[in-house]
Amino acid sequence: MDYVIQVEGLSFSYRDNKVLEDVSFSVKEGSFVSILGPNGSGKSTLLKLITSVAKAQSGTVKVAGKNISIMSKKDLAQILSVVPQNTALEFDFKVFDIVMMGRYPFINKLRGETTEDIEIVKSSMSYTNTLHLSERSFNELSGGERQRVILAQALAQKPGILVLDEPISHLDLQHQVELLNLIRKMCVDNGLTVVSVLHDLNMAATYSDHIIMLKDKSIRYSGAPIEVLTSQSIKEVFNADVYVSRSSLGQKPYIYTLTKPHIESKGTRVHVICGGGSGSEILKELYLSGYELSTGVLAIGDQDWKIAKELEINIAEEIPFVSIAVEAYTANLELAKTADTILLTGLYFGRANLRNLELLLEKPLSGKRVLILDDETFSNRDYTDGMAAALYERIKESPRVELVDKNELLDKLARQVDYEALNN
Amino acid sequence: MKRLITSIGLPIILIFLLAIAVLSAIRIGVVNIPTSEIFEILLKKLETPNAAILLDIRMPRVLLAGIIGAGLAAVGAVMQGIFKNPLVDSYTLGMSSGAALGAVISIVGGISGGVFGIAATGIFAFAGSILTLLFVSGLAYKSKRLSSNTLLLAGVAVSYFLASVISFLMMLNHNKIQHIVFWTMGSIATATWSKVAVAALTIVPGIFILLFYTRELNMMTMGEEAAQHLGVRTARVRKTMLIIGSIIVGGVVSTGGTIGFVGLIAPHIVRFLTGSDNRRVIPYASLLGAILVIVSDTIGRTIIQPAEIPVGVMTSIMGGPFFIYLLIKQKHK
Repeated sequence: MDYVIQVEGLSFSYRDNKVLEDVSFSVKEGSFVSILGPNGSGKSTLLKLITSVAKAQSGTVKVAGKNISIMSKKDLAQILSVVPQNTALEFDFKVFDIVMMGRYPFINKLRGETTEDIEIVKSSMSYTNTLHLSERSFNELSGGERQRVILAQALAQKPGILVLDEPISHLDLQHQVELLNLIRKMCVDNGLTVVSVLHDLNMAATYSDHIIMLKDKSIRYSGAPIEVLTSQSIKEVFNADVYVSRSSLGQKPYIYTLTKPHIESKGTRVHVICGGGSGSEILKELYLSGYELSTGVLAIGDQDWKIAKELEINIAEEIPFVSIAVEAYTANLELAKTADTILLTGLYFGRANLRNLELLLEKPLSGKRVLILDDETFSNRDYTDGMAAALYERIKESPRVELVDKNELLDKLARQVDYEALNN
Repeated sequence: MKRLITSIGLPIILIFLLAIAVLSAIRIGVVNIPTSEIFEILLKKLETPNAAILLDIRMPRVLLAGIIGAGLAAVGAVMQGIFKNPLVDSYTLGMSSGAALGAVISIVGGISGGVFGIAATGIFAFAGSILTLLFVSGLAYKSKRLSSNTLLLAGVAVSYFLASVISFLMMLNHNKIQHIVFWTMGSIATATWSKVAVAALTIVPGIFILLFYTRELNMMTMGEEAAQHLGVRTARVRKTMLIIGSIIVGGVVSTGGTIGFVGLIAPHIVRFLTGSDNRRVIPYASLLGAILVIVSDTIGRTIIQPAEIPVGVMTSIMGGPFFIYLLIKQKHK
């Protein structure tokens, strides 16, 4: 069987409010599917419909090929188990008894639990590392232990499908990772299919094979994390500004939230002269701090060039391994001229990019503030038989040039506003 | 004490205590019947001078007390489980007052007396009990999620309301006051074999049906949705238990009036001793409930002889402070 859950044309209204409208998707056996979406987008309702707790007004849900509306609760519980957000008990039970409740759909009322049931309970407890808690009271446990016990209960159902509703939202980081690792492991080891609502986009990106993004009652995006999680889709669905970085192997996206300090409203632009990776972190950090950016001249395919492309900032670019030609040079000059500050990073100089230093001596830039990083390592980075050093010394003569340490860069940039105010 | 109990076994201790309670209760009274005579009457069918007192007065009274106590305790445990609230029982939910009003209506309407009369009163009591329960739980469910406080407040408010309706009916029916007071205070002084039969037929099968659903009730303490995920048909289980509970309360009230706090105390003592597993709580609480009512009634009828304190007054005197203790414990949680 290829698809274990098939949802078709699902619509649900609560009283007169439409909560879900015409939702369709399928879940492949053995995959980890995350459902993302802002509050009120219908995530929880969707889970309720899949787990047969609520009934849709139209549309069908098929689990393992069978329409769940004609399945008994026990039959469904033999295939599909659910882990809720958190569980609290008014009356306390022993951990072992809680896990044994997972065997309910299999236990014959008159015969009671068999040795096989006890074996299954024990093995699912040892899998989730809760066997040692067996005799403890459930309410005495920590949040992480409770979730593992509830997971053990779900596993005792021997399900093919595990549905989780924000299973980690009440846990600290260590327990979040622990729980998701465990679930991912079951996915890989036992071919368990997992459908989970998650709040943390990065957790979803890390653990899921497939992501479904809900917004306003319907599915907006559906696909692999790398395809679906982009700054545009996240802006559209969550109305949040983020920067999505892609790992070098291109498999997992990583989402940074953008901070917007007041400086951004003043429209400060920084032109960064970098290359060879010397500017990557700086570009990201300045971008996340809310600065407008430009950069150049960068060779196409250079590491800094890739970052600049990801950040969608203006680049003066040149073909790799050739000297900077007039076209790129003037483009770079134009960008520098319109910037408020020019930043020179600790890049290596060869004959090909020597003109990036020449630029700083151009007349139109003589009034610009220039910040220079990594001054002390310059001599190690000069591969031009002293040509770069000569230019560098001339640049440093200008009173507008400041040598700054990386740690104080953001402070220096922030203070520029005052600096210009003084001059006016 | 806990260790001693687990080593001997709570059910064995409870059965032993119940036997002692029954034996002492039929022994003690205005006339003390020696134990040897009791065995002669019961086993050798000897017509000793006290045979009539034992067989026609003490035996039905003790049996009725035991059955009523067991029923109240079982219903209390089940209601606490369903509503996930340790402070509810048939009394605080207003079920008992509802049943009492039903019973009073049947008396005022003139349909009581005799075996058929007890049965009719029972049906009225059942109706009063289930209608009150539906109304109270309906009020609490209205606030979207069933809130513990709303449930208790609604139960207590409805209880007061129903009590004043009963008082009003008493005012209008002077000639039947004596009869009505019996229901509001809870008394088994007029126990007869026919009352025992009615109680046994309504309460005992009910307890066994409740016992059949203890596993489901355990699972529902995790929340109805979680129980559904595990395959429990919660709506059906809940309905069945509420109906059976109402039948039991109807049986209790039509034969013994409103007897408070037993349904609250017995399950809590058992939970304290053996944990919350309803597969143990409900049967053991039933045994304990039987013991408590038998002991309360025996104390009530012997302590200020020749007068009698109604059993409902006795259980409330003991139960009130216990309820307050639970409230305080709840706050510290």
